[in-house]
Amino acid sequence: MDVENVLPQDDLDTSLAVDGKRRQLLQTATLAAGASMLGLSSTATGAWAAGSDKPEKTEVKIGFIPLTDCASVVMASLLGFDKKYGIKIVLSKEASWAGVRDKLANGELDGAHVLSGLIYGVQMGIGGQKKDMAILMGLNNNGQAITLSKKLADKGAVDGASLAKLMTSDKREYTFAQTFPTGTHAMWLYYWLAANGVNPLKDAKVITVPPPQMVANMRVGNMDGFCVGEPWGHRAIVDGVGVTAITTQEIWKDHPEKVLGATAEFAAKNPNTCRALIAAVLEAGRWIDASLANKNKMAEAIADKSYVNTSKDVIDQRIMGRYQNGLGKTWDDPNYMKFYNDGLVNFPYLSDGMWFMTQHRRWGLLKTDPDYLAVAKSVSQIALYKDAAAMTNTPVPKDVLRTSKLMDGVVWDGKNPQAYAASFKIHA
Amino acid sequence: MQSLRIVVVNPVAIEGEDDPAFAVQAARGKDLRIGLLEAGYNIVASLPADLYLPERIAQLQPDMIIVDAESNARDVLEHVVVATRDARRPIVLFTEDAKTSSMDAAMAAGVSAYIVAGLQTARIKPVLDVALARFRQEQKSLAELSDTKLKLAERKVLERAKGLLMEHHKLSEQEAYQKLRRLAMDKNLKLSEVAQRIIDAADLLG
Repeated sequence: MDVENVLPQDDLDTSLAVDGKRRQLLQTATLAAGASMLGLSSTATGAWAAGSDKPEKTEVKIGFIPLTDCASVVMASLLGFDKKYGIKIVLSKEASWAGVRDKLANGELDGAHVLSGLIYGVQMGIGGQKKDMAILMGLNNNGQAITLSKKLADKGAVDGASLAKLMTSDKREYTFAQTFPTGTHAMWLYYWLAANGVNPLKDAKVITVPPPQMVANMRVGNMDGFCVGEPWGHRAIVDGVGVTAITTQEIWKDHPEKVLGATAEFAAKNPNTCRALIAAVLEAGRWIDASLANKNKMAEAIADKSYVNTSKDVIDQRIMGRYQNGLGKTWDDPNYMKFYNDGLVNFPYLSDGMWFMTQHRRWGLLKTDPDYLAVAKSVSQIALYKDAAAMTNTPVPKDVLRTSKLMDGVVWDGKNPQAYAASFKIHA
Repeated sequence: MQSLRIVVVNPVAIEGEDDPAFAVQAARGKDLRIGLLEAGYNIVASLPADLYLPERIAQLQPDMIIVDAESNARDVLEHVVVATRDARRPIVLFTEDAKTSSMDAAMAAGVSAYIVAGLQTARIKPVLDVALARFRQEQKSLAELSDTKLKLAERKVLERAKGLLMEHHKLSEQEAYQKLRRLAMDKNLKLSEVAQRIIDAADLLG
């Protein structure tokens, strides 16, 4: 199908005022395909028959940052899954994570595509902002990467071990970038460096750079490496400025990444709206994961200026698991970015939330141990999520904790967070 | 009073991207700088939000940092905020949106203040003055709170160490305290540090 003609190519209005005709076109074209495949009725007229279930707020403003993993939130709106559940998602493209945080806190945004770690940073008041937050659902697993500059690769540093070796033999200040001090990319970068014997806070200089500026900064030699979400890792390869040293799914298979975040107050005041929102995004994630054809359409849609603002080709390789490292190696990665994976992606596991707090503790962002479990329980909106999962026939895992083995062989099962946080040899 | 040393942080253009928001921000920033100068403020620097921003801020040690709320520079600045969170300085957001200009909402979100674009020069000063006063007040209460917490924790440690000495060495409370003081003087340590060592040793030896 030719999405070209139905998407707002010339529409600078990021609040997505797609006129009815375009929207209809896109819906009949894509939704029909998706719907028949999923056995949905595409003529659903809102699932809210009973008055008590009615969304308290029917128009929700949702912030997103231009990255591949904003896809399920964007597609929920573009494909009209929001309408199916009686709400309207108004998308708002944001320029910074700090901006997303402030707008969530002061109510300008109702919800957002946001870094898991950032939500816990605000919950714990790291860096000043302290507010009770809510995670409504996970948006994606996997699909971020650590890139090393071509200059480093030419000196033999192409992965963690060879980088650590070079840093020992060729001493100077090495600069690595992540996207937000408490965010996921900072934690992947730190974990990976430390697993290779490099203390990110003592042996390197770490800086924060907005995702769209990573590649340009590497090109002019401002940094040796960066950790960021797609499409920017792939873009560095295409532009010939860097090599993929490791994907985040190799650091932690099916790791938590972006979440649908809100304030605790918003979730408490608008439970029906939250259920509808979760359900709409669950359906969008299911639609994306359903086929390569759908992924292709998704790439086409989010490449648009209103969203990620890049070429479709930069997005559509890695979402299908087609990876290349920039040194001639290509591979098919089964653990590419997942948006649904039978609901495993979306369940807001308490162990996932606690993991970010353990790393904040490890790297000195938290000075004392919080009550890990209690905080995670207050943030993860498991009850709301389960209702929405039931509405969409999404399977729900039995346990609120999950067991994962990370790249260094260390197992995290969420059972003893305080001991886990203190167990790392390399820390702040 | 010495005039405030202000740093204004400007957005960086993204290579190869023609971003209309960037031009709008640049124009807003220029108006703001003119307004500040007219209001008699001392802008010590107008910095691009590039990789060197943290170092420049560390060198300049401004009293206040002003940045456009919609700027792509916000996260670079966030790095500074977190890295220097023990010596925070007020950050004022410059915004187009009159809705967010409520001081209380801003403070609740951890922001010192919002200045709304188009604010007359004469009105910038009171906004900044109030922002700074509130920020200092907030910092003072935070400092007092953590000081109190620390003192309380130290007192608990001291009481426990005294108890251990009294139990193991059959000392009176007064004697136990004297012993702790002597140890602290001999080893050139704080009383609470010696107390902590005694507790650690007792824990180890069961």
